[in-house]
Amino acid sequence: MAIQSWRIRDRYYRLVGSRCASCGAEYFPPVYRCRECGSDKMKDKEMPKTGRIVTYTQLHEPLPGFEAQVPFYLALVELENGARVLTQVVDSPDEAVKTGAKVKATVRRAKVEGESGQIIYGYKFIVA
Amino acid sequence: MARSKAYVASVGFTKVGDHWEKSLLDLAVEAGSSALKGAPKAKPDVLIVGNMFSAVGASQEHLGAMVAGALGLTGIPAFKVEAACASGASAFNVACSLVKSGSVGSALVVGVEKMRDLEPEEASQALAMAESAEYTQFVGASFAALNGLLARYYMESEGVSRDELSSIPVIDHANGVTAEHAQFRKAITADVVSRSSMVADPLRLFDCAPVGDGAAAALILGDPKAGAGKKLVGVLGGAVSTNEFSVYERKDMLDFRATRDAFGSAMSQAGLSLPKLGALEVHDAFSVVGALSLEAMGLSKRGEGCRDAKAGKFDLRSDMPINTFGGLKARGHPVGATGVYQIAEAFLQLTDAAGKNQVDRPDYVATHNIGGVDTTAAVHVFGRAS
Ligand SMILES: [Zn+2]
Repeated sequence: MAIQSWRIRDRYYRLVGSRCASCGAEYFPPVYRCRECGSDKMKDKEMPKTGRIVTYTQLHEPLPGFEAQVPFYLALVELENGARVLTQVVDSPDEAVKTGAKVKATVRRAKVEGESGQIIYGYKFIVA
Repeated sequence: MARSKAYVASVGFTKVGDHWEKSLLDLAVEAGSSALKGAPKAKPDVLIVGNMFSAVGASQEHLGAMVAGALGLTGIPAFKVEAACASGASAFNVACSLVKSGSVGSALVVGVEKMRDLEPEEASQALAMAESAEYTQFVGASFAALNGLLARYYMESEGVSRDELSSIPVIDHANGVTAEHAQFRKAITADVVSRSSMVADPLRLFDCAPVGDGAAAALILGDPKAGAGKKLVGVLGGAVSTNEFSVYERKDMLDFRATRDAFGSAMSQAGLSLPKLGALEVHDAFSVVGALSLEAMGLSKRGEGCRDAKAGKFDLRSDMPINTFGGLKARGHPVGATGVYQIAEAFLQLTDAAGKNQVDRPDYVATHNIGGVDTTAAVHVFGRAS
C-alpha cells in the first residue's frame, strides 16, 4: 500500500490541497468539486501552515501501525484560509492542546507500514 | 414514487455476541433459515446480503451466491450491498425497491457481520475503512477518534455535560436486560458510563458500541396474500441519503443532514407526523451520534438530545421509546447486520411479539441506520398491515 502514500506525497509533505478557480474557496483534503459554488475547476494549491484547533481528542486505542504513539492527540485544525485539516498534534504540552489554540504544521514520521516496516512521512501540527 | 407495496412477512436473527464456534456463513444461514421458516409458502426471488467487511473479517467476498447456495436458493440472483455500518438497512432498502418496482415478487435480506475473529486493533482498522484511507486513517484516526472529536465539539458548542452524554447508553442497557438476543443484558448507571475506560477523549468505553458477531434477516413480499395469513408488517416509507463524506469536511458538523433528509422522506412517504410513531430504533454507535440523530429527526431540539434522554423522554415506557431491545450499545452492533436487527425488532413490536420489551400497542415504528458519521443514513417506517 506504500504506493498509495507515494502518489500523494506532495499533499502529505507540503499540504497541497485545492483551490476553486471560480470562487477561490480552498480545501484540504483536496476536492473534485467546489462545495461553495459547484465548479469542477479545481487547481492544486499549497495550504498555509498555521491555524487554530476547532476541536480535538486524545486517542487511547490505536489503529495498526500507530501502537507506539498512543495516547496521541488528533485535532481538527482550521487553517488561515478556512480549509479544515484532520491532523495529529504532537510535541506540545497537554495543557496547550485545547480548543482555539494556535498551531503550525510540520513534517513527521506518520506511520510504519506493512511487514517490511516502511516508514511513511506526513504532516503533523504542533501548538505554536 | 412507489406504486406497489412491500410487506415484511417474517424475520430471523441470531443472538449478538461471541460466536467462536460459528462462521460468517453459519450465522447468515441461521438467520436466513429462520426468516424463511417463518413464511414457508413464500420463496424469495432475490437475495440481498448486507455486510461491511467480510473480506477483512473472514477473507470472504461473493456473499450473495454463497449465502444463496447455503440456504438452498441456488439459481436466484444474489448480491451484497455495502454502505459501511448502514449496509444492513441499505440492503433492505434495495430489496424493498425491487419488490415495489414489481421486478420481483419477494426478496430475502440477510445482514451479517463476523467481527470477533479479529484482534481489537484489526477490528478498529476494519471499521476505519468507512472513512478516508488517505486523510483519516492516514493520520491514525480510528472511527472512535472521529466520534471523539465530534463529541467534544458537541459538548463545548451546546453545553452538554459528561453526565448528560451518558444518558443514552443508560437507556440502551436498561432495555437490553430483557432482550434475549442482546449482547449485554445488564443495567448500568450514568456513573458507570462516565467512569469507564477512556477510548477517544471524551468518549469512554460505554459511549461506544461493542464489537460482536451476528446476523439478522427479513423476508419481504409484494403481495400480502403470499404470506398465507401470517401477520404482516407494511413498509410504509424508506429512504437513503448521503452527507459530505467526512464529518470534518462539513460546514456544520452537528447537522446530521443525511439522517434529517432520509427521515423526512421516509415519514412523508408514510404520511406520518412524529407523534404517530410508537417507537424508534436509532443508530447510536456512539453516545454523541445517538444524540445528534435524535436532534436531526426532530425528536429533540438542537443540543437537547442527551438532556431529553436523561429526563426519561425516550424510556421504554415513555411516549417515544427508543432502542427497545437495547440499541447498538446493549443489543450490539455487528455492523452489516445492525440495520436488519433494527427492522426485525420493529417487526416484533408491530406483531406484538416483543415479549417483555413490548411497547404499548405501537401502530408505527421507524428504524434509523447510519454508515460513517451520518455519511449514509437509511431510514424505514413500518406499520401494522391489516
Ligand atoms: Zn467554488
